[in-house]
Amino acid sequence: MIATFAILETPLLARDTGRTFVSNEKSHDIYVFDAEFNLIKKIETSRRPRDMKLNADRTLLFVACGDDDIIDVIDVESLEIVDGIPTGPSPEVFEFSLDESQIYVSNEEDSMMEIIDLESRITIHNVPTGAEPEGVALAPEGDVIYVTSEVADMVHVVNASTGVVTDNIIVGTRPRRFVMTPDTNELWVSAELSSEIYVIDRASNEITSVLEFLPPGFRPEDVTPVGMTLTRDGSIGLISLGRANHVAVIDAHSKDILAYVLVGRRAWSVALSRDEKTAVVANGLSDDITLINMDTYRPIRSIPVGRVPHTVIIDD
Amino acid sequence: MRSLIFLFFTFFALPLCAQNINLGLLRLQNDPRFDEDFAYARIELRAQGDVLTAIEMAINDMKIVTDARGATVVLREAKVGADGLFRAAQNMLTQGITHLIVDLPSNEVDNLATSLAGSNVVMLNTTAPEDWLRSRCHPNLLHTAASDRMIADALVQHAMFHKWRDLLVLRGKTDRDTSRAESFVQAAERYRLRIVDEREFDLSTNPALREQNNIALITGGRRDYDAVYIADEIGEYARYVPYQVARPRPVIGATGLVAAEWHWALERYGAPQVNSRFEKLSTSNRRMSWQDWSAWMAARAVLTAFNKSQDPKMEAVNTYLRSDRLHLDGSKGAQMSFRPWSGQLRMPILLATHNAIIEIAPLEGFLHQTNSLDALGYDEKEFFCDK
Repeated sequence: MIATFAILETPLLARDTGRTFVSNEKSHDIYVFDAEFNLIKKIETSRRPRDMKLNADRTLLFVACGDDDIIDVIDVESLEIVDGIPTGPSPEVFEFSLDESQIYVSNEEDSMMEIIDLESRITIHNVPTGAEPEGVALAPEGDVIYVTSEVADMVHVVNASTGVVTDNIIVGTRPRRFVMTPDTNELWVSAELSSEIYVIDRASNEITSVLEFLPPGFRPEDVTPVGMTLTRDGSIGLISLGRANHVAVIDAHSKDILAYVLVGRRAWSVALSRDEKTAVVANGLSDDITLINMDTYRPIRSIPVGRVPHTVIIDD
Repeated sequence: MRSLIFLFFTFFALPLCAQNINLGLLRLQNDPRFDEDFAYARIELRAQGDVLTAIEMAINDMKIVTDARGATVVLREAKVGADGLFRAAQNMLTQGITHLIVDLPSNEVDNLATSLAGSNVVMLNTTAPEDWLRSRCHPNLLHTAASDRMIADALVQHAMFHKWRDLLVLRGKTDRDTSRAESFVQAAERYRLRIVDEREFDLSTNPALREQNNIALITGGRRDYDAVYIADEIGEYARYVPYQVARPRPVIGATGLVAAEWHWALERYGAPQVNSRFEKLSTSNRRMSWQDWSAWMAARAVLTAFNKSQDPKMEAVNTYLRSDRLHLDGSKGAQMSFRPWSGQLRMPILLATHNAIIEIAPLEGFLHQTNSLDALGYDEKEFFCDK
């Protein structure tokens, strides 16, 4: 317990709120925790809140609400909903353009990636994708958007200004989310039902390697990777392994596995605190989050949240 | 530290192969299994509706990939009488059909597979659940419908989990009811559950048969049981059984807790999106049923094999289709592939009430030495070809 407090208290700089946000798909709310992970508020959102993003100056939290076809906008100070951006049917995952004038959102139910102008709220492009588009990522240069289609097992490469699909990459079964390395020009894609991470070279759009994981005591088919995150320097990667109830910690360069950390049931979204000493994992089947000590790669504790937690955002 | 499998790929790029993917769908005119007359007074006893919608959905779902590969999917379909099936299938073969999805009763599937044994066509059975059809071991036949035994094992796992150790079996007089009940008894024996009695029900009001048609009497007697299992394909008897059982015991099988390939109430694993795509596509906005799911899976399996096989030759596609690399996604949270010994698609089975998914089999704790999905249905060592 003492160790827990030490980890959570010392590194926090008071610049921002120090809060952690967890969206809960089935209880239609966001749990807000303070820096010590005390629950300070449950924000009732539109129905089925899923992906969340903070704007660049961390004043507003955007939440895609799948069953009300809207992205709720929450004031991070007051924790009140202050605005809403209408979207196409069932928004799931989204990303901002570099200048935050546009939002790129996957509409799970009509197989589109929608590009919405934030000021006018007008849809600029509807980019057709394979069925059930999910993961959306923007290249750091801001010119290319990547979208997964869970049913077509593809990554679509989309020109951000014209909304045209320029390339398609066939990956494993049920591709979910992305992460991009800051230093090696790699795009990683999690393929939930073939138990793999595809590493794609962004220059050529070629698959350079496929990573597989097997925590002790599990079978390959139990490993259903979804959420991923990287340290800012691109040295360490965290990959949630879904029903294998573990998070894999890997060396992002050599791809060596450093540790498997036991967390809750069906580990999904994973996020790192800004000091990168703590990772937070949302466990979709056990309705809790698990904190991981990034020095020892050990779980610290699990904290109950709402029903079916989807995404974790740390504003510290 | 622990090793990591690390493979290099150079061949996953999309080749332009300008190839046609030729799918066929064969159905029976006036299929007695989906006879509208049994849907008495507009009460739906059995799922009705045409699986063509499900196949079209699979083609739509995968269109972006097949387009990217430069392939065109051609679907030819026919609905004919039992004596016209072979001719219709032959017609399709001359038109270049390489994969034939069949929505037919078991005898028709068996006969057709025998007749087409000399051709290179791969048949996919979507709606015949009989175990004996698997044991026929037709080399040209795959099954995306769950077998009776898989359905039975799912129910038995649930009974085990809840310690319902003593079971009363009720069954109708039809062949289907007999074979369903037989599969259930075999599944119960494997898990050492006791069948306290097996009783045949009668759908009449004949007072001479009241021991069979009166629900309180057929479920009565001195011997206690933990649950009632009922095999009733038509469903007309079963729907009156719950709440009339002589003892306050749950009813499973044909009513109450029902095991099936699919149910519209599944909320996880992308199932809501699948259901709403299907409802939008179907002309009557009907809900997706188990046979729609099996047909959707059959088309998806073939298209996935075409899209992912590195070699576009038919032999390579079919090898991929039957391999464990298929990793097929059916929105039930598990990766699926065909069992090499029986051609049966291994899959999770949903245990559902009229509007809720209670469990997904294999249940937690029911393990298998290689793939927990193989805890459902005949395992390799129990399976014998009937020659």
